[in-house]
Amino acid sequence: MIILAMDALDHNLVERYNCKNLMQTEHGQTDISDFELPRTVVLWASFLTGKNMEAEIPVETQWEFKLAPDKTFLRFFGSCLAIDVPALSLKEKNHAEERKLLKKYFDDKASLEDYDSLVWRNHEENKKDFFGSLGRFDLVVAYFDLADAIGHLSFGLAEKMSSVYVELEGIAREVKSSATDLTLVISDHGMKPVGRFGDHSENGFYSLNREWKLKLPKMTDFYELIKQKV
Amino acid sequence: MEDHLSNLEKKSISIIREAKAQFKNMAVLWSTGKDSTATLWLCRKAFFGRIPFPVIHIDTSYKFPEIYEFRDRIAKEWNLDLAIAKNEEALKNGVSPEKGKLDCCTKLKTEALKSIIKKEGFDALILAIRRDEHGIRAKERYFSPRDEEFRWRYADQPAELWDLYVRPAEDFSHMRVHPILHWTEFDVWQYVRRENLPMNPLYLAKNGMRYRSLGCMPCTVPIPSNASNIDEITEELRTTTTPERAGRAQDKERAYMMQKLRSLGYM
Repeated sequence: MIILAMDALDHNLVERYNCKNLMQTEHGQTDISDFELPRTVVLWASFLTGKNMEAEIPVETQWEFKLAPDKTFLRFFGSCLAIDVPALSLKEKNHAEERKLLKKYFDDKASLEDYDSLVWRNHEENKKDFFGSLGRFDLVVAYFDLADAIGHLSFGLAEKMSSVYVELEGIAREVKSSATDLTLVISDHGMKPVGRFGDHSENGFYSLNREWKLKLPKMTDFYELIKQKV
Repeated sequence: MEDHLSNLEKKSISIIREAKAQFKNMAVLWSTGKDSTATLWLCRKAFFGRIPFPVIHIDTSYKFPEIYEFRDRIAKEWNLDLAIAKNEEALKNGVSPEKGKLDCCTKLKTEALKSIIKKEGFDALILAIRRDEHGIRAKERYFSPRDEEFRWRYADQPAELWDLYVRPAEDFSHMRVHPILHWTEFDVWQYVRRENLPMNPLYLAKNGMRYRSLGCMPCTVPIPSNASNIDEITEELRTTTTPERAGRAQDKERAYMMQKLRSLGYM
C-alpha cells in the first residue's frame, strides 16, 4: 500500500485545478469537525492511531511528539517505510529550519524567496526518498508539506498555488503510472485564504485508487478501514 | 455618449436609491478617506443634497489628527447626521495596537461597529469598498448579506444579473451595500477632480511621502511620492506597481497569520 500524506491538500483546490491523478478513482472531503483546532501533528497522529489525539499532544511540544509504530496501523504490515511523517518519523531538522525561517520572515529577517526555496528543497528530498522506496516495502507512507508550507505565506497568490498543485498532481501521476498498489492520498486539513496568506480549514481531502465508497470519512476512520482491507 | 465617470456615477446612485427603497433603517460608513467621501457625495447626489440616513464614523481614537479635523469640518458643511461609534470600554481596558494589532482592530473597529448596529437596529450599511482593492473584495456583490458575527458566505451569494438586486429570502442580520464596487482607485481620483470634492490633506505628498490609504496612525505607513495635487496623483497611478493598501492590509493579515501560526504551534 502507498499513502501519500499531503499536508493541507485542499479538497476545493484539487477539484478546481482538476487534478485527476490526485482524485484517483474515488475522492472526497474528510471530516475533522471533532478537532478543536486543525493542528498538523494532532491530525496525523489521529490518522495513524485511529484515536483523537488532541488532548495528548500539547501545542508547545507537538513537534517532538512521537508514536511507537506498534501503536499505529503500521503494525498491520510486514515491512514499512514512513518518510518524514509527523508524530512518527518527522525529519526534525528540516522542519525546524522551515519553522525558524517562517519566524524570521515575520520578523522581517528573511525573504519569502529564502523560505520558499527551503520548502521546495525539503520537498525534493522527500520526493527522492519516496520514489526510491517504491516496490521495496509492503507499506510506504510519504509526507509532503509543500501545500501547507507554501500556502501559509502564499495561499492568496493563485499562480504560486497552482504550481504547487501541478507538482503534487505530478507525484500522483507518477505513482499511478509506476505502481498498482492500493493508494491512498490524504491530507490533514484544507486551507483558506487570509489575504495573501493561508490558514488551516476543514476542507481536508482523501482519494483512493479503489472504490471504498466512503462518505465524509473522519481522519480516525482510516485506521480500521486499513486494518480491514489489508 | 456619456463619459465613463458619469456612467459609474449613474450606476452607484441607482444602487444607493435601490438600497434606500429596500431597507427601512440604513446608514453609511465614513472613514473620511477618498472612497467613503466620494460615496457620501454620491449619497448627497442621490437624494438631492441631503443624506436621509445617519453617517457612521468608527473612532478608534488612534486616527490621524487630520482625519478628525476633516470629519468635523465636512460634517458641518454637508449637514451630516454624524454618529460616532467608539468602543469606550475597550479603550478603558487599555486595548492598543502596541498590545496586539489584531485584537486592537477587532475591539476598536469590529466590536464598535457591531455595537452601533445593534443599538440603532440598522438593517443595511453602505460601505465604500471596491473590487480592485483586494483579491477577496473582488468576490463581493453590490448587496451582500451578513450575519450577526459579520460572517460573509462568499461561496453562496445572491446572483446580480442584469443589475437586478434581489434581497435574499433567508435570514440575515444586515445587508452590506457597496455602491462603488465597480470603481477603481483611478476612477475615484478622477471623480474627486471632476466634482472638486474636498480631500484629506494626508493624501498629498509632503517631503517626498504621502498616504495612499488612510487608517490608524500606528498601523498606516506613507509611500514615497512627490504627488502634491490630484493631477499628480492620477498621473502617479497610471504607472505605479505598488498595491493601494501596501501600507495597511498586509500588516493586519500578517498580524492575524502570526497569531494563527502560533496557536497552531508553528512559531
